[in-house]
Amino acid sequence: MAAAPASPWRESWRSFAANRGALAALGVFALIALAALLAPWLAPHDPVLQYRDHMLAPPMWADGGSRAFPLGTDELGRDMLSRLLWGGRISLGLGLASVLLSMLPGVLLGLVAAFHQHALAPVIMRVMDVMLALPSLLLAICVITVLGPGLANTAIAIAIGALPGFTRLARAAALAEIGRDYVTASRLAGAGTGRLMFAAVLPNCMAPLIVNASLSFSSAILSAAGLGFLGLGVQAPLAEWGTMLATARDYMERAGWVVTLPGLAILVSVLAVNLIGDGLRDALDPKLKRAA
Amino acid sequence: MSAGTALVDIRGLTVDFGSLRAVDGVDLRLEAGERLGIVGESGSGKSVTMLALMQLVGAPGVVRADKLEFLGRDLLELSARERRAVIGRDMAMVFQDALSALNPSYTVGAQIAEVLREHLGLRGAAARARVLELLELVEIPDAKRRADAYPHQLSGGMNQRVMIAMAIACSPRLLIADEPTTALDVTIQAQIMALLLRLSTEQGMGLVMITHDLAVVAELTQRVAVMYAGQLVEEGAVPALFDAPRHPYTEALLAAIPEHNRGAARLQALPGIVPGAHDRPAGCLLAPRCAYAVERCRAERPPLAAGVRCFLPRGEPKP
Amino acid sequence: MSAAPQPAPLLEARELARHYAVSQGLFGPKAQVKALDGVSFTLAAGRTLAVVGESGCGKSTLARQLTLVEAPTRGALSIRGQATAGADKARVAALRRDVQMVFQNPFASLNPRWTIARTLEEPLAINRPQLARAERRERVAALLDRVGLRREHLARYPHMFSGGQRQRIAIARAMILEPGIVVADEPTSALDVSVQAQILNLFMDLQQAFGTGYVFISHNLGVVEHVADELMVMYLGRAVEVGAKTRIFAQPLHPYTQALMSATPALRAADRRARIRIEGELPSPLNPPSGCAFHKRCPRATAHCAAELPELRELDGRRIACHNV
Repeated sequence: MAAAPASPWRESWRSFAANRGALAALGVFALIALAALLAPWLAPHDPVLQYRDHMLAPPMWADGGSRAFPLGTDELGRDMLSRLLWGGRISLGLGLASVLLSMLPGVLLGLVAAFHQHALAPVIMRVMDVMLALPSLLLAICVITVLGPGLANTAIAIAIGALPGFTRLARAAALAEIGRDYVTASRLAGAGTGRLMFAAVLPNCMAPLIVNASLSFSSAILSAAGLGFLGLGVQAPLAEWGTMLATARDYMERAGWVVTLPGLAILVSVLAVNLIGDGLRDALDPKLKRAA
Repeated sequence: MSAGTALVDIRGLTVDFGSLRAVDGVDLRLEAGERLGIVGESGSGKSVTMLALMQLVGAPGVVRADKLEFLGRDLLELSARERRAVIGRDMAMVFQDALSALNPSYTVGAQIAEVLREHLGLRGAAARARVLELLELVEIPDAKRRADAYPHQLSGGMNQRVMIAMAIACSPRLLIADEPTTALDVTIQAQIMALLLRLSTEQGMGLVMITHDLAVVAELTQRVAVMYAGQLVEEGAVPALFDAPRHPYTEALLAAIPEHNRGAARLQALPGIVPGAHDRPAGCLLAPRCAYAVERCRAERPPLAAGVRCFLPRGEPKP
Repeated sequence: MSAAPQPAPLLEARELARHYAVSQGLFGPKAQVKALDGVSFTLAAGRTLAVVGESGCGKSTLARQLTLVEAPTRGALSIRGQATAGADKARVAALRRDVQMVFQNPFASLNPRWTIARTLEEPLAINRPQLARAERRERVAALLDRVGLRREHLARYPHMFSGGQRQRIAIARAMILEPGIVVADEPTSALDVSVQAQILNLFMDLQQAFGTGYVFISHNLGVVEHVADELMVMYLGRAVEVGAKTRIFAQPLHPYTQALMSATPALRAADRRARIRIEGELPSPLNPPSGCAFHKRCPRATAHCAAELPELRELDGRRIACHNV
């Protein structure tokens, strides 16, 4: 007999932890997130401070590099390591913010659509269809054009692009659960729509939503980088991996590290999150589980 | 084939899924044309036993047997190719849920034709003719039209008949039916049972009927094997076994049927539940629930003797 | 005849009907499916009405009507004399407390993410908010004892229980509000014989203790014969034979009832009835036969059966819908 009752969540964690790749990715991502969080203490320099005497200084392991600037400096003499750490805060923060901004309203709309099949669902889903018809990057560009560039607006723009995905997913998952006997039983117990939506059905729909959230996160980082690359997202002199890539375009041959390092940061983060997402899907998808 | 060769001869069959012993030392023998029923409840291992015979138990299941013979040939020794020639052709299986056993993307006629093509090499017009012949054999009306229907367009009973048609397409010597009528309405069940009986007697085909429904076994089969928690606990002829059960589990199963409790307010229910993977008793597997258990039952595992696995079979004078 | 007014029956259905409109493609007219087409019965406290029929007979639709999940297209339903038609939200809530349901599939009827305690406490939390938490827990624990499980099971999740145990939990959930009526939809069909016996005993014990009226839906005639007081045999949305169990089992009069009973396999040769072989399958509810829905498969059908729908009439201590009896 088990000592503590294994809740479905604990069982899922166990399945996830059995996946080495996902666990490693989780570790890597945790490190990156921690480094970004502790940027104020870890960064050796101010990220916007320009050292005119040390412009395009190479990283410390290359010729001409020095300990003072471990990863070199960019074209304006700003320390790369500090900019990467502070930039991580913004890139990862943008990812998190846009996921939350798209997931919370998206899931709510999806649940409402599932529970009001005849009245509200057609309206909600058609609006989502329209949003899905526009390419997400274009949509983000439009939103930024209207709202203006900047950190908050970038998050909103990306969130708007991701919203329909969550709505559709939440609606499909909820519809699958609504027909099941335990929901009818809750209805018979007198549960109102609110209780049915959030207490009974939502916990059983979390699996696809969590997976989509992790994949949305990595896609948000990429979108933020893309917008930054286009000059529409985060504005200089704020460090953000995408903007760093954009401004360093011209220095690819002369000072490769200025482009490579932010690119690598984006690559590793996105890869880690995607692996985590895959691991989550395998752990949470009941069909893939071994039969009890 | 010599007269003494049994259709199926299983000795000491054991199937393990990791630490779970699904089938525990089962011996079974079936003669040509004989109808055998295997009854048991969930966890009895009745389905796994026949899946092991059909070589359908995949990893992580491990199949071991002293003897696993079909028509005198050791199935465990066959190569994959030889196996494919036997399974589905001389030995076929019909499952419980016809709708999920059939491919939803192909017409039923195409699926039967696939069997004919793979095992008998029939194609084109010859295959089509045989498909219609088979559909008529399983009593599907309007066979020509039904052959071009998709599984979801047919009822449960129809789909079950299609499955039977696929199974008997190559005139197998043995047909294994795993709960074929459990999901069907009782009037359709009666039709399918009559069909199976007719096919068995007309074609001299052996039939193994796996079910939890004792009444189905009583009406359809000649011999019955009762399984509990992976072991064979009693074996005998029908209806003798039901009229005078010797194993306490068989007795309890019969006593629990509502029809045998007419007029009583309460049903005679066997308390407790089947042991799982982790609480298998050291002695007789039924001992924790058995009303007649004595010390010996809890300490030792009873062997199968004279068709019953019990130290104190019912109806026998105590030593 | 007594002049005192009779107390209203616990449950009364009069000509309950439920039709669905089914779309037939983009341009065709909507077809009518008469899932339930005029069913009447009464149920008294402490008694069991068994509803027998095969797939497509309308028993699931009937269950949804009785538990107030859907409103009838026609006909009337009243609980303890109170009509359910046109009831406002508050009245539906009050009526709801009096009718509960036990479902067929024990593996789908409990919320997988809730502990057993949560599942059992929910009806109390919603309907008796004045109860203190401690008292709620006590009631739940007491009922759990009654259905044969232990207090330590409260903190566990459904996937840790067997089918029989889950069904016990489902029964406890149905009884926690002490409803007057419980609709049991094939509650033992997914269970093994020995577990079925335990669960049926539990049902009967609870009925004795609480005086609950049961509407027991089942296709298993053996189970029905054991639990029922009254029996209603349904075919394609209509009742074809309704009456006392002992009467009907001793002498079924409707050809469909006779066919059902003869088709049920029996262990002992002595229990077997002469096989009445009926051919064919249930007709599609989208395209029901004219007149009596059973006439295409009935061994006694005449031209009259195809022409006119038989109504239920009193005969030999039961109500029966057949022209040829």
